[in-house]
Amino acid sequence: MMSKTGTAAAVGNHSSGLTAFLHKCRTTSFWGIVPFLIFAGYFLFWPIFSIAKASITDNKHHISLGVYKLLFTGNYREAFISSFKLSLFSALLAGVLGAILAFAISKTSGAVKSFTNSAAGVLANTGGVPLAFMFVAAFGQDGLVTKILLFFHWDIYAGSFDLGNFWGILLVYCFFQIPLMVIIFSPAVENMKKEWAEASDSLGANSFQFFRFVTAPILFPAFLSATLLLFASAFSAYATARAMTIGNLPLVPLVIGTLVDGNVIPSEANLGDALAMGMVFVSGLAIVAYLGLLRFSKGRS
Amino acid sequence: MKKYSPLTIISFLFAIIFFLSPLIAAGEYSFRGLNGVGHSLINYTWIIHQSGFYNNLAVSLRLALVTVVLVMVLLVPTVVYLHLGGRKWRRLVEFFCLIPIVIPVVSLAIGAQVAMPKWLQSTSYELCFFYVIVAMPYVYRALDIGLQSIPLQTLVEASQSLGANWFTTLRRVILPAIASAMTGALFITIALTLGEYTLASLLHFRTFPTWVTNVSQENILGAVALSVATLVGAWLILLLLAFIPKFKRNRKGVLVHG
Repeated sequence: MMSKTGTAAAVGNHSSGLTAFLHKCRTTSFWGIVPFLIFAGYFLFWPIFSIAKASITDNKHHISLGVYKLLFTGNYREAFISSFKLSLFSALLAGVLGAILAFAISKTSGAVKSFTNSAAGVLANTGGVPLAFMFVAAFGQDGLVTKILLFFHWDIYAGSFDLGNFWGILLVYCFFQIPLMVIIFSPAVENMKKEWAEASDSLGANSFQFFRFVTAPILFPAFLSATLLLFASAFSAYATARAMTIGNLPLVPLVIGTLVDGNVIPSEANLGDALAMGMVFVSGLAIVAYLGLLRFSKGRS
Repeated sequence: MKKYSPLTIISFLFAIIFFLSPLIAAGEYSFRGLNGVGHSLINYTWIIHQSGFYNNLAVSLRLALVTVVLVMVLLVPTVVYLHLGGRKWRRLVEFFCLIPIVIPVVSLAIGAQVAMPKWLQSTSYELCFFYVIVAMPYVYRALDIGLQSIPLQTLVEASQSLGANWFTTLRRVILPAIASAMTGALFITIALTLGEYTLASLLHFRTFPTWVTNVSQENILGAVALSVATLVGAWLILLLLAFIPKFKRNRKGVLVHG
């Protein structure tokens, strides 16, 4: 797979030097990865490790898990439950819609494909105040889409819908969760072989049967694992949640935010650290499940 | 032209409506005149006259520049290495690049406050390092796809047999070959840096997004105009980037066939 054919064709010292070099890379050397490991270690893992340490050190510098008990009481418990619920719903909804869109994108090619891919990257990173404003302008009480739908006798505010509550935030989260799903799920869709569709076609299956018996079973693990990532992404969203809610929906990132801003003085100094660790823990579960699924799907194929 | 199935067309239509309608609605909103009567450019001129507009935009642009340089210097050699000799490290790097999507940025911000040295916390350039972490998953993916689509092994061997050293190979062979992937990665990094709010606000730095949030409390219409301007600007750059590399490649026609 690697350099065998190339070196056989090329003659000269440089080539054989390269072969030796590549061989060394494959067997012993790891220099190429060192800068990356140092950077990720210092700016990603060291901060996480530090809050873990701070969260189990109490005011008197003793090791104690006392602060974690608080996470299971009152407002903090509420916050974890509503964060979990919101993330679950948003992951499932955006997962299904994003998967459908990924299929549609896989049918395109060339400039359209490269544009939709970059667009997905940008949309997935839209959030915070700008996103909140856009949705207020479109789906707010006085918004453009609300008015258009009202013209067709569909009053979206007839029920309990409001942009600041659960369903409203779910809608807003779709704006960056669907593109994220497209980014994560597209490689799996692209890997579907054209021959499979042709084979199934020549055996007389219609496109629904092809989806039911070929596509769905093959892509299901990838779909589930992508959904887990969406869950984690929704769970950690802060800027958008903060711009949309006015304290009516307690979410863990928002609780941490108010602690950091110093607006609320907690009974335990390291409560913020413990909450942050709680989030890492829930997200960590999603990652572990994701990796497990990945291994399962690799082992099967 | 290919024929698309009705399902594909319906999906695209829904996506276009869902993603464009907020933008269009906000656009209409932002052109409303004084006290919401009529339409005018008044909200856009209001933005520019706010104190702090240029300062904070400049801060964010500087951060974006430093972040882009950092992320490229860090990830381009790493991903090239993974494609050449370091294949066995791939799983590890992919795993590391997954974590920033999943680990809550809020947690990262708290961790940064605890773990980073004081001298780094006193400058807003601290943000760049964490922006690199947040951008890593997207940049890695873009570069990985770019490198998969070129015959890297052959290119490197050809370059080495012509007597080029590693630096020359990287600069004159590999970088031009993955230019379009790099522009994609570049754009995502810039968009991310210019829009990032969580880290900047929790670490108490003044950047463009945190400034927008503050200003928006005074004048809602002006803030909507600001949001629209930011997004439309981003989309224009995106359109440019999507078509320029294609044009260039057609003109030179060197690397298409490897």
